[in-house]
Amino acid sequence: MPYVAIVDDEEPVRKALKRLLRASGLEAESYASGREFLDASVLREPDCVLLDLHMPRMSGLQVLRALKAAHRTLPVVVITAHDAPETRDQCLAAGATAYLRKPLEEHELIDTITAALGARTR
Amino acid sequence: MDSHSASSASATPGLTQWGWGSGPLAGWAAPALFVALGYYLAARVGFAFTLQPYPISTLWPPNALLLAALLLAPTRAWWWLLAAALPAHLLVQLESGVPVAMVLGWYVSNCSEALIGAGLVRAFVPWPLRLDSLRNAGIFLFCGAFVGPLLSSFLDAALVSLIGWGERGYWDLVATRIFSNTLAALTVAPLILTWASVDVSRLRAAPLARYAEGAVLFTGLLATCMVVFDLPQIDPHTAPALFYAPLPFLVWAALRFGPAGTAGAIAAVVVATIFGTVNGLGPFAGSTPQETALEMQLFLSAVAVPMLLLAVVLDERGRVELDAREQRMQLTHLSRVAMLGELSGGIAHELNQPLTAILSNAQAAQHLIANKSADPEILVEILRDIIAADQRAGEVIRRLRTLFKRGETQFQRLDANELVDEVLGIVHGDLMTRSVEVVPEFASALLMVHGDRVELEQVMLNLVINACDAMAGIAPEQRRLTIRTRSIEVEDGAVQISFGDCGTGFTPEQYAKLFEPFYTTKPRGLGLGLSISRAIIRAHHGRLWGSSIPGKGASFHMVLPALSTRGGSAVR
Repeated sequence: MPYVAIVDDEEPVRKALKRLLRASGLEAESYASGREFLDASVLREPDCVLLDLHMPRMSGLQVLRALKAAHRTLPVVVITAHDAPETRDQCLAAGATAYLRKPLEEHELIDTITAALGARTR
Repeated sequence: MDSHSASSASATPGLTQWGWGSGPLAGWAAPALFVALGYYLAARVGFAFTLQPYPISTLWPPNALLLAALLLAPTRAWWWLLAAALPAHLLVQLESGVPVAMVLGWYVSNCSEALIGAGLVRAFVPWPLRLDSLRNAGIFLFCGAFVGPLLSSFLDAALVSLIGWGERGYWDLVATRIFSNTLAALTVAPLILTWASVDVSRLRAAPLARYAEGAVLFTGLLATCMVVFDLPQIDPHTAPALFYAPLPFLVWAALRFGPAGTAGAIAAVVVATIFGTVNGLGPFAGSTPQETALEMQLFLSAVAVPMLLLAVVLDERGRVELDAREQRMQLTHLSRVAMLGELSGGIAHELNQPLTAILSNAQAAQHLIANKSADPEILVEILRDIIAADQRAGEVIRRLRTLFKRGETQFQRLDANELVDEVLGIVHGDLMTRSVEVVPEFASALLMVHGDRVELEQVMLNLVINACDAMAGIAPEQRRLTIRTRSIEVEDGAVQISFGDCGTGFTPEQYAKLFEPFYTTKPRGLGLGLSISRAIIRAHHGRLWGSSIPGKGASFHMVLPALSTRGGSAVR
């Protein structure tokens, strides 16, 4: 079962996404901050990451850059409640696989994750 | 009724309720009836105010009533109103045994006074005339109360001489008529004009205290007038001083009850004075009837003109101030709405978060139910989370609605820490998307302040947004906004709220212009935020200022007087 890591500072969002992914047949774990995720991901690397963009202290963009700096090529789907065209470009440039706006449509989310997982297996 | 409602600019139910547009038969019947009845009663009053045994009326109100009626009516209805007065005129004059030719002659001269006055006024002021500006009042007094009576008095005296009624000379008649008609025009016409434009609904809505004040004023005025003008002849040496006795009441009326209240008060003084004089009482009695009438008329006219003008000027100024206040309120509201527009991205973020939680939870529940793997406890938990997220979204909207709303300033007891929390709730999305970290340094047990919640939140919101803008150019991890609250234990106490950023700061030259309207350093700013913020804080008897080390950041501080522990505000 593919393992998806959810990184979001908002507890209700984290909880809801974890429930949805698990109900959709994926294994999911959630992390409250970028730092927490980076530390945990060393021990167990996820197959895909759902990464919130706007988080205090360490933003999603900083997490992306940290992954890049560590030469880790994880498929990362950036999710954001605040959509701005320039951040989308920044994220994709920093190595994000996809960029989704909240609230997340289930089909779009699952399709994007599936596509990201497929890209990884190829 | 307050001093502004007497001549409300927008609503003039008294002028419009007659429905002048609906034609002579239906819409014009009521005004005609009013004029006929009013004319008859006014003539009876005029007769009652005659100095016996000589037939000299000290106050002749029918002409003034006609003048007021014409001024309230559109010009095309004038002939109708003048015609309506004819039956009343015939009835009242024929009752007193005057020859028909003289009766008709007086009808012509009475109508001429009203026509001259109303025609001249209409030439300068379009219908309907309202005594709500110094210009209008001045034109009315000059044309209606001076030129009209003056010119018609020549005609009146000429007709009397021509018909040969009475034994008095032409110039004697002219002089008598001028003052009698002028006094009536000064007293009766403003009374009708001002009360016709009183907004009845506002009058009804006035608090009981206003009615009580009006009652005290008019009782005091009448009692004073009766003592001064309606008692047997007083010592002639003290008489001049007594003339001033009603003055405080008239000034009171002008200050507090507008032109309508003042016109009422003047009418009361006039009636009380004439009543005493025609009964041989008060300071004017004792001379010949002509002298008595003239002295009294001059005195009353000299009182009426300045008092009426004073009331109109005060009313006009009050309205201008009210308009200015309304504009300030609109500007404050507009700037608040503009500021919320700047926050729209952050607000979308704040709403999208709970919406994400709601949607994902609901879809997860759908899966669980569809797969028949739903544990009721989990479903209950999911529903609980959905409700919580929904409530959070509702809270975002509630906060916004409060700020979007436009309303009167409402002062209440407030906790500054709570206000800052509320503001941080509103800007949470923006702080997050702009990577600004807030460092709250709140004093516990802060003194309470007295203020308008929405306006104070507007100021804080403005300072927070400015701080965020100032830090846009520095690295995200360095963007820190420190918000500090503290009680100041001096004199009656105060509360200081400071917003410190680590942005670019400002130079002393920039600071000199910072609070000026339309000064902005932002590409899309209106430049009103800080000037409105300072106006709001000043209205709260507080202070708003900034300090900065250029290149290191800026701090803005607001100090609000604390609510005194005795229950009231410490501010004076």
